[in-house]
Amino acid sequence: TEWNVSVWGKRRAFTEHVEKLAELVAEKTDGEFTMNISYGGLSQPKENLDGISIGAFEMAQFCAGYHRDKNRAITVLELPFIGVNTLEEEVAVSHALYEHPAVKEEMAQWNARILMTSPMPQYNLVGVGEPRDTLDSMNGMRVRATGGLGEAFKAVGGVPTSVSAPEAYQAMESGVVDTVAFAQHAHLSFGTINQATWWTANLNPGTVNCPIVVNTDAYEMLSDDEREVLDSSIDESIQHYLDNYAELLARWDDVLEEKGVEKVMISDEELAKFREVAAGPIRDQWIADMSAQGLPAQELYDLVIATLEETRASN
Amino acid sequence: MAGASPVLEDDSVLSRLDRGLLRVERLMGLVAGLAIFSLMLLAVRSVGGRVTLNAPLMGYVDFIEQLMPLIAILAVSFAQRDGTHIRMDLLVENLRGRALWLFELISVLLILMLMLFLIWGSWAHFQRSFDLGAPWWSRDSTTDIAMPIWPAKLLVPVAFSVLALRLLIQIYGFARALVLGLEKPVAVPMVLDAAAQAAAEAKALEEEEEQERANGPD
Amino acid sequence: MDPIEIGLWVTGGLLVMVLMGMRVAFAAALAGLVGLLLIFWSRRGFDPEHFGWAITVAAKTAGQVPHSKVASQSLSLIPTFILIGYLAYYAGLTKALFEAAKRWLAWLPGGLAVSTVFATAGFAAVSGASVATAAVFARIAIPEMLKIGYDKRFAAGVVAAGGTLASLIPPSAILVIYAIIVEQDVGKLLLAGFIPGAFSALVYGSLIVGIAMIFKNVGPPVTGFTWGQRFAALPPALPILAVVVIIIFFVYNPFGEKSWGTPTEGGAIGAFIVFCMALYKGMRWSQLKAALLETAKLTVMIFTIIWGVLIYVRFLGFADLPGAFSDWITSLSMSPMLILIMILLAYAVLGMFMDAIGMLLLTLPVVYPAVMALNGGETVSAADSAFGMSGTMCAIWFGILVVKMAEFCLITPPIGLNCFVVAGVRDDLSVQDVFKGVMPFFVADAFTIAGLIAFPQIVLWLPSLA
Ligand code: NA
Ligand code: NA
Repeated sequence: TEWNVSVWGKRRAFTEHVEKLAELVAEKTDGEFTMNISYGGLSQPKENLDGISIGAFEMAQFCAGYHRDKNRAITVLELPFIGVNTLEEEVAVSHALYEHPAVKEEMAQWNARILMTSPMPQYNLVGVGEPRDTLDSMNGMRVRATGGLGEAFKAVGGVPTSVSAPEAYQAMESGVVDTVAFAQHAHLSFGTINQATWWTANLNPGTVNCPIVVNTDAYEMLSDDEREVLDSSIDESIQHYLDNYAELLARWDDVLEEKGVEKVMISDEELAKFREVAAGPIRDQWIADMSAQGLPAQELYDLVIATLEETRASN
Repeated sequence: MAGASPVLEDDSVLSRLDRGLLRVERLMGLVAGLAIFSLMLLAVRSVGGRVTLNAPLMGYVDFIEQLMPLIAILAVSFAQRDGTHIRMDLLVENLRGRALWLFELISVLLILMLMLFLIWGSWAHFQRSFDLGAPWWSRDSTTDIAMPIWPAKLLVPVAFSVLALRLLIQIYGFARALVLGLEKPVAVPMVLDAAAQAAAEAKALEEEEEQERANGPD
Repeated sequence: MDPIEIGLWVTGGLLVMVLMGMRVAFAAALAGLVGLLLIFWSRRGFDPEHFGWAITVAAKTAGQVPHSKVASQSLSLIPTFILIGYLAYYAGLTKALFEAAKRWLAWLPGGLAVSTVFATAGFAAVSGASVATAAVFARIAIPEMLKIGYDKRFAAGVVAAGGTLASLIPPSAILVIYAIIVEQDVGKLLLAGFIPGAFSALVYGSLIVGIAMIFKNVGPPVTGFTWGQRFAALPPALPILAVVVIIIFFVYNPFGEKSWGTPTEGGAIGAFIVFCMALYKGMRWSQLKAALLETAKLTVMIFTIIWGVLIYVRFLGFADLPGAFSDWITSLSMSPMLILIMILLAYAVLGMFMDAIGMLLLTLPVVYPAVMALNGGETVSAADSAFGMSGTMCAIWFGILVVKMAEFCLITPPIGLNCFVVAGVRDDLSVQDVFKGVMPFFVADAFTIAGLIAFPQIVLWLPSLA
């Protein structure tokens, strides 16, 4: 069996679990089951779910905030200030949520089955010029932030302006956006850190959720052995991803120093104000909207919070 | 090569159909033109708002992404009508009569076949973004201000369907010319034939001689 | 059949369709559709039972492309640039520009032709499309040259060649298209076009002066303009300079580190200013409607090629042909510079038969990764690279070279779009006349391209400052 896998950008920490999965699967089946990972050759990032639904490729990565209406249920994980602190917690809550029937049903509409998540740390801003370290300075700021993060900045007067991740550098340089919210790996990979003069170290408004999905038919067409190998390789792939990301985070301060990027700390007072306008109201709005559309929104939210507490307790 | 070619007209049903469809196509072309114009106004609003009020236009990129399919696709049939879509006419330029109509006919038949598949595919693309049970019937939305995308996606199979009608007219026009061995069929873009070119060249030569006479020999 | 074989067969089929005169955009889309079908079917072992599945997946994959590829903010530059050109014509700006160039430069040998070249260069700074520029100046400059006894063919050749400057000097639709295909910074690329464009104009100008000095009957100088007349010609031409300056300042704000806007916004603001001028000059709704219809038609022509070719490119992605070609190129045991020159020569040959945008869209997805690999990869540093420049700079340099090649192709027979347009505008000129008249400019272009290869700094100096 040969699978085509559609991701975007270039190989980076964000795709390491996919690379690892391909490696493990090929190894364990002696090359009987291989994966061709294509960085942008098979689809646009925003059309990956469409491609899975069509069956053009068998596996893909996408981010929930790119297209809220395609994947309402999992956007709960993109709510601002939800309280996830580590990548391990991110994995735990994501994978618990992916098992919820509402999520499975929504993915089934795309003929898709979620395999695993791509855990990411909190998104923080980079920018040039005066640091945007108060809510006032964020008023009128054009910020590259999608999904719930965009909503959060909107709540303080910012203007979320989306460009795809590969275009972010260009958008920043040409003034389409003033600031870009990314995880660390993406600031590195898409070069936004090279443009920046400052990075917010503790804004931590939330993150985006980017699952890896497979086409259901392709998954079922695998032989029992192949499917077993695929399923049993997921944990190891995620572990590889986490180890790799931990190394990147350990290097992060050196990177900032090397590139001459100022580490901006936002005062507790400002953070509290931000949380107040962005956390509760946006969450309540989300629950109301999604309930109105027939999703068990409160249940999904509670599941996330319960899993988060459980994970903390067990550590 | 590029640029419009003349389309002949008369009182036949075919020609009337051609002109009837042209009215629709011109309208679609004008809508596309106005969309380009609004692109300009949108930028003025966006920049103006940002510079004067520190209030950039929310969803500027989303608006552009919604306008672009109008601009890029709506007039596709308008351009097919008079042969604006570019091609290499190295070969067809040198063909006459039935041989020419045969090649033209094969070309438009192939394009029609392509269009039937693309109407199917782009309709499916629209359908995936459309859900009668959802608010705004939307199952796919723009990133910043969550506008439903299905209207822009629907535009593609609609524009392609108009193009398919145009191709049917051209297929009939070329087939008729092929069967009847016509010199100057109506309702299809004419290749600027050798006669016209020769005439132009003859005229040019004449002028040159005139000029030489006027200037006298060197 | 393996994917590479399918790739080669489908590409062959595409060439046949293009040669037999099918519209390029649709030929490319059809080739892409058939290619996708074969790729998907091959994955089910060409089992007849799975043909239905394969054709469904192929149609749906291809059917995504028109919407998803054109719905892009960076591509919105193209219609805006085209609109500016048409509005500038209605605003009478082109005529004023030509008049000013004439009064200042026409005293040179071949003066009116030199003026034409520099007026097209000036107009290029507001026009994004070579063809539109050639069409406009065929109306304005050729009659004036003929009036004072210029050789008709030469006059037409000057305009056809001068028109090509519009695609190097920013704004330029074709540079935007290059930037999009190769995913590079549009702003830097546009900036990089400035000096090569000006350099091209200088080479054209010197060539004309040289020709006029050797062949006395080509075109007499025009003397007798007083300094008063010269300065009097400036104010009407000033608006166009103002637009140019505004667009440039907008995108490359020289006063601070942050630009005032994006190239997209700069283009649109430029269009708006020209629109206001055209209104001031008394443009009526019927004229605006005509301009909008023309803009819409030219725009849809370009975009149909874009999505058509991108369906084919999507198929190439599934066949992984770019990867294979890149591996092959880097395995050759020739010097990288020699390979690069051969690639450019291949463009010259291909460009004889294809139009510029189609050619770039068809070839770049395969050729660009190969060139980047040749230099040492996207992220290579200047020190480790084959051409002595970083990956980003190589992308810019190659872009300008390729665009210059594409522009060269606009004036070469048998399919030189600019020459067709000039002949189309002028009843008294055949295409053959224009091709004859433009021939001296082949030499100029060859010289320019050699210059850009030998001295990459001509291209890279400005963007390296940004
Ligand atoms: Na230009
Ligand atoms: Na050519």
